[in-house]
Amino acid sequence: MANALIEVQTTFLSLDSQYAMLRAACKTDRDRAALAAKYAAAQKNYQTTLNQMLKDDDTQVAALAKQLKAANAVVNHATQEMGDISKVIDDLATAIDLGSKLIACV
Amino acid sequence: MAATAKSLSAYYTALRMILDNTDQFYLLNEQLYAKPYPSENREQVKKTEAELEERVELASDFSTLSGNFGKLTGSTAPADVAASASKLEGEVETLASVKASSVEQGALKAALQTLTTAAKEHKEREAAKAMDDAVKGLSDLFAKEAEVWNSAEMVYSTIGSTLAGNLVDGNATDNAALLKVALDPFGLSPSTASADLNAQLAPLAKQQIAAKKSAMDSDYLQASNAMATSLDEMSQRIHTVAEDKPMAFRSAPLSVSTVEKWTSQIMSTGSTNTTATAPAQPASKPAR
Repeated sequence: MANALIEVQTTFLSLDSQYAMLRAACKTDRDRAALAAKYAAAQKNYQTTLNQMLKDDDTQVAALAKQLKAANAVVNHATQEMGDISKVIDDLATAIDLGSKLIACV
Repeated sequence: MAATAKSLSAYYTALRMILDNTDQFYLLNEQLYAKPYPSENREQVKKTEAELEERVELASDFSTLSGNFGKLTGSTAPADVAASASKLEGEVETLASVKASSVEQGALKAALQTLTTAAKEHKEREAAKAMDDAVKGLSDLFAKEAEVWNSAEMVYSTIGSTLAGNLVDGNATDNAALLKVALDPFGLSPSTASADLNAQLAPLAKQQIAAKKSAMDSDYLQASNAMATSLDEMSQRIHTVAEDKPMAFRSAPLSVSTVEKWTSQIMSTGSTNTTATAPAQPASKPAR
């Protein structure tokens, strides 16, 4: 597919760069119309091939978007848990502090 | 990671601008040089833009993910845990003089160390595991599509430079701008060039177009390669954390600056969507 893209790209760009010269060489309206039709077809071939290659990736793009969202949910959850753990340890520290003071009073 | 996410987003946005500019070139070519641009072809260009828009959204999701991961790895939570655990260990020491045996102290200390380690490392690894496949997928997609975007940039620069050359040939440019290099050092400005002077300067103008076109292609390829390197490097870093050890380094990949340089160049020369008001007709009307 990549080779096909390079081929249609080369054809289109070559025709685009020589268009003025070719058009000047056309002697009749019919020649000019034929040249214009070739140009439009070359442009269409290029743009269609480009889209075809991207369309082949649509499933991959959709799966990736889903993966990224799922990963984001896990990371978010982990971030919240990390905060909770810190709080739990703080609470434990306070409880033990109170406990040791209490024991000291016994 | 945040730097790479930001670069990817900017990279896709710049590509979208390139596609938009290509569409504008086609419209100008149709208007000025009788190069047809049928509506069905324009629909194809718009389809490409829509596909690119999906990549911009992906980059946006990636940026969000990066931000949240940054909160986790860069938050003060691990430091808070470490400080709290240290305080807790101190409290355990005070128990020694009262009731608790050394065995109990040792067990409690070990438990605290485990908890602290788990809090500091396990969550980062857990998060990294969740990200591992997604980021690798993003890096793989980028590599797979490189040829498509290389082609889009090549068509943009070639069609654009041919159009610019045709405008020079049609005397639609003021080539006196090329005199600035000779006049600026002496505090002088070029006047509007006469038709003769414009024609004399046309070859230089066309040389400048060719040189700029080469530079555009070269800058783009460097940026594209740098983007691929950044994504690959980031994917490897996350994989390392997900597999066994904590992330040892977190500085932004150096290649990110190359991407930023290119995207800012494209954004500064972006389309203004003024096709409806095409430039004044060249003095000598082009072939039509």
